[in-house]
Amino acid sequence: MVRKRKGRGESDPAATTIVVMALYITDSGPNSVRAVANLEAICQEHLKGNFRLEIIDVLQHPLRALADGIVVTPSLAKLSPLPIATVVGNLSDKSGVLRALGIVGSTG
Amino acid sequence: MNSALPQLNPAPSGTGIERDFQKAILRLVKGGPERQAIEAGQIDAIIDPASGNSILLPEARRALIERKVGFRSLIGLAFDWYWEQDEDYRFVSHRGAGDDADGIAEEGIIGKTLWDLSIDNMSEADWRTHRQQLEWRAIFRDLELRHVDGGGEVRYVSISGEPVFDDRNHFKGYRGITRDITERKQAEALVQQPHRFDRAVLDALGAPIAVLDHAGLVLSANHAWRDFATNHAGVGTHVALGANYLAVCDDACATEQVDGVAIAAGIRQVIGGERALFRYDYSCDSPTGRTWLALSVTRIAENGNASAVVLCEDITERKRGELLLGLEFAVARCLANATTAASALQSVIRVICETQGWDCGRYFCLDQSAGVLRFDESWGVAGAAVEEFLEKSRGMVFRPGAGLAGRVCQSGQPLWIVDGARDAAVSPTALAPETGEYDACVFPVTTDDKVIGVLAFSASRVREPDDRMLQAVRSIGSQLGGFLLRQQAVDALRRSEMRFRVLNDLTSDWYWEQDSNFRFTQVVGCSAFGTAEILGMTHWELPNVVVADEGWAEHKSQLAARWSFCDFEFATVHSDGKHAYYSICGEPVYDAAGIFTGYCGTGLDITTRKREEIALRESEARLRALVAHSSG
Repeated sequence: MVRKRKGRGESDPAATTIVVMALYITDSGPNSVRAVANLEAICQEHLKGNFRLEIIDVLQHPLRALADGIVVTPSLAKLSPLPIATVVGNLSDKSGVLRALGIVGSTG
Repeated sequence: MNSALPQLNPAPSGTGIERDFQKAILRLVKGGPERQAIEAGQIDAIIDPASGNSILLPEARRALIERKVGFRSLIGLAFDWYWEQDEDYRFVSHRGAGDDADGIAEEGIIGKTLWDLSIDNMSEADWRTHRQQLEWRAIFRDLELRHVDGGGEVRYVSISGEPVFDDRNHFKGYRGITRDITERKQAEALVQQPHRFDRAVLDALGAPIAVLDHAGLVLSANHAWRDFATNHAGVGTHVALGANYLAVCDDACATEQVDGVAIAAGIRQVIGGERALFRYDYSCDSPTGRTWLALSVTRIAENGNASAVVLCEDITERKRGELLLGLEFAVARCLANATTAASALQSVIRVICETQGWDCGRYFCLDQSAGVLRFDESWGVAGAAVEEFLEKSRGMVFRPGAGLAGRVCQSGQPLWIVDGARDAAVSPTALAPETGEYDACVFPVTTDDKVIGVLAFSASRVREPDDRMLQAVRSIGSQLGGFLLRQQAVDALRRSEMRFRVLNDLTSDWYWEQDSNFRFTQVVGCSAFGTAEILGMTHWELPNVVVADEGWAEHKSQLAARWSFCDFEFATVHSDGKHAYYSICGEPVYDAAGIFTGYCGTGLDITTRKREEIALRESEARLRALVAHSSG
């Protein structure tokens, strides 16, 4: 399963920075489900639509995870803006996620 | 970390196997964050770096299994079977949601295409359409199929499917679900059954019926209504299903406008609840002549929605019957009021013409002695053409078998000329002098099945006769024949009476009648007494009557014995002292029951004869006296 989501502010990319992310999950594993929910909440609160998210089910796309160097699921990879950062786990550590995403000043 | 989430922490709840598994997993994962996450129970799977396969951690595996079971339970509620087909559309798997049996094909479905199965509600065209969908790799939904199971029961299934492609987007076949919808179809059939039955009942009714909604739209119409619409003229008769009946009535024009307005108003009143029933009879011209229609509108109110049932019947036959019955009564009335044969004929011809809309009629009387039909009487509407036609008819004579009148006289059967040439035996040219430019109806006037004359009617348009019309003309011909025969007898009697009266006048001076007490009740032509002084008196009570006593005694005894008497003579003394002499004859009168009602008779003034007799007797007496004197 590959799901791609776009934020609403994408229509004016010059105005704000678009955060491009990939979330690797395992079907409906409990931590995967939790990770999706946690990330959705963070994006809604802090990115205001200025993001692009691809959700990849490694059960359906095992080669994709291998190629991207993913070791465990769930794992979140921030691809843009640089630097690339990876967060593993169910993303319940909100401040860690925000730091990885480069959202400065957030307290989570 | 959310403590509600499942933890993969092996201690203390984990089993020995799980602890060993965790150790093996941790050996695979080198990174610190990954190991921490695993130990925190936040990881579902580890990617095998050699194969890329996911190794599910126990909590994730349990969750996935539970989810699969739950999903299977849920989809079991949504369909009965799950199936897969290969790229040639052959079934490669077919499993029941509850692991029960086939359903769609008891003989085995694997290896067969859908159209190889015993489906009995799909035509060749239907299958072609379905296969085209498959060729287009389209998703198909709710394809309803019917088949008969091994028990002989009809079963219905609904089948839906979607194409399956591999990673390289190559078509691999179809997969889909099948639901048994037999119960639903049976329920639908049960729901539909009453409607079908209602419809069948409506169609079985012979009367044309339509159902209108509140706005006048025809919601439903039975077979009779549709047939009626194709065969009749008149307001509203051509309104088909889906059309607006009220609008058609509102838009009626010319001669139909009045009827249209009345009908529309009546229907609106019924729909509006102002009246429960609206009836309206009206007529119109149709290719077959005047047509009468009876409209009946009743209200239906269901769930607050009012509608109307319109029933429109052709009552032409009944109306014509009523008119013909009325005609027969009218003819009977004419004959009852007529005093002569001529006046009877004229009034009868007139009433027939006026009732039937015919222009004129003529009566040809059969002259029995000469054996020919002669023009007798006629009546026609005002107009030069009709008058000319009737004038030409005067003096016409037909032999039996010649001409229309002669043929009817000979056969005793009615004859109709509609559009002239329709009767192959009668050429239009031959008809011309008899019928002019008209159609004709000729029928016999009979008495005791014997033709005594012929009535011939002409009109610019004569309707083809029906049985009721033929019955009417036979009845009228018979009524008229009977009247004419009776009239002949009355005329003969009248003439006989006239002759008798003349003879009576020659043999007597007056006529008298007495009641059962011998009192005069009528005296005609008597010069001996004034009417006022004689009526109510007996003969012997009259003043100045001179009869010898023995004469009265004898006369009274005759009367008492109810004898006829002749030449009862009496004298009356005039004011100048002279005598007048009279002789009366009389006979007793009895009523139909044989009861004596009085006397009637005649009287004769015999004064002259009597005086001569007296003078003669006196002369004889003188002569005898002279003879005696001379001889003595």
